[in-house]
Amino acid sequence: MNSLDFSIALQAWPYLWSGLLFSLALTAVAFVVGLVLGTCLALVQHFEVPVIGRLVRGYVALMRSIPLILVLFWFFFLVPIVLGHLGGNGRPVPIGATWTAFITFGLFEAAYYSEIIRVGLRAVNRGQFEACQALALSTFDTYRSVILPQVLRVASPIILSQTIILFQDTSLVYVLSLTDLLGAASKLAQLNGRLVEMYLVIAVVYLAISSAASQCVASLRKRYAIAGMRR
Amino acid sequence: MHQLAAGNKPELSASIVVVEKLVKRFGHFTALSDVNLSVGAGEKIVLCGPSGSGKSTLIRCINHIEKHDGGRIVVDGVELTDRMTDVNSIRREVGMVFQSFNLFPHLSIVENCMLAPMKVRGLSRAEAQERAIGLLRKVRIHDQADKYPGQLSGGQQQRVAIARALCMQPKIMLFDEPTSALDPEMVKEVLDTMVELARDGMTMVCVTHEMGFAREIADRVVFMDRGTIVEEADPETFFRAPCTERAKDFLGQIIH
Repeated sequence: MNSLDFSIALQAWPYLWSGLLFSLALTAVAFVVGLVLGTCLALVQHFEVPVIGRLVRGYVALMRSIPLILVLFWFFFLVPIVLGHLGGNGRPVPIGATWTAFITFGLFEAAYYSEIIRVGLRAVNRGQFEACQALALSTFDTYRSVILPQVLRVASPIILSQTIILFQDTSLVYVLSLTDLLGAASKLAQLNGRLVEMYLVIAVVYLAISSAASQCVASLRKRYAIAGMRR
Repeated sequence: MHQLAAGNKPELSASIVVVEKLVKRFGHFTALSDVNLSVGAGEKIVLCGPSGSGKSTLIRCINHIEKHDGGRIVVDGVELTDRMTDVNSIRREVGMVFQSFNLFPHLSIVENCMLAPMKVRGLSRAEAQERAIGLLRKVRIHDQADKYPGQLSGGQQQRVAIARALCMQPKIMLFDEPTSALDPEMVKEVLDTMVELARDGMTMVCVTHEMGFAREIADRVVFMDRGTIVEEADPETFFRAPCTERAKDFLGQIIH
């Protein structure tokens, strides 16, 4: 009888671990780039900056309406060609799978985070803006010290869910032949034929990390909760 | 050019706020038409009138929260234009208290009061804190300085809002129905604070229906209806013998 044998996962742990580290690094970079860039994109739309505001709106709509896997392909095949043309000699300039992954995820997530921030900005009471005006605060200080801190607090649960989705989506880098957690597991599984064990083990790892992230954010929210402020 | 205009009207030279032929439209609706008002330094004015009469719009134009469409507004010698340097130099000198308090919910009471003095007036943290605590003491709420707005009652929040505006050391204070959103038992604590402020000599323009307050501190009551100033008088005269029908109707309605 072919019983389950998890020892194989234990032996292969260093390889899985390096895959996991790649997944986490990609998630972290895409989170930081996505949130910072996404906030900028949201502000450009919020201020209705002429022309650029529309371009940003179009960019966000485009990114949100096509599958991530397709965007990965685009960047992998098209960006080298574009760079080649910009460079002048027309010969493609390869940027490599790893760079493609980091850039694509950062730009793709920026579109999603920007929607979250944009909706959050619209939810801030008009009176908050008026109070800032009445106190002669500059636009920069208004957003930096009053508006964005409130938006980020209110939006933090949605930002968290988006980030957990992002963490799971990093597995799509297998199309670029990069080895993330899932990629490492499937390569091992194909080598040793222990598909069920491998996929069970990494499912548990994904589950553990995602729920740990939720717990962590929940306790952060509790710690930084503001008495009397709606959450 | 502005000096020339001021020279032609010497009676306005002591005014801290001059509003001339002010027009404000919202789409096709004319909220203010041809409004003239001048406020002398130290003067306390109560603006009243039925809802939709333009009284809130008028004071919101004075610090450019609403942009006016015609006429001119001069605050402390600076004419209000669209240039942000003018707008902010005026806003620095004009404090405003809103009906719905508009405290910053994510900042503690004392931080609410420190933010603008630090960012706009360039005070150090320590200076801003000292000033904030001093003014919170004045509105008798310094023992709550480290709480957050959501933990305070409406009356307490409004007193904090008054302290927050005072921390900018404004030359004039605008009040936009400061007691209308309060439970009845909290109205008095806010009015008492405002009376105290008036006694300290602050220049004040208050939109309010608190007629007892108007009687007590106002130098002038300005009655507005349908976007114009219908009547202006000292409070005694206005309440005892209003000269227009519209003012009589209005007083009849609010004094039951």
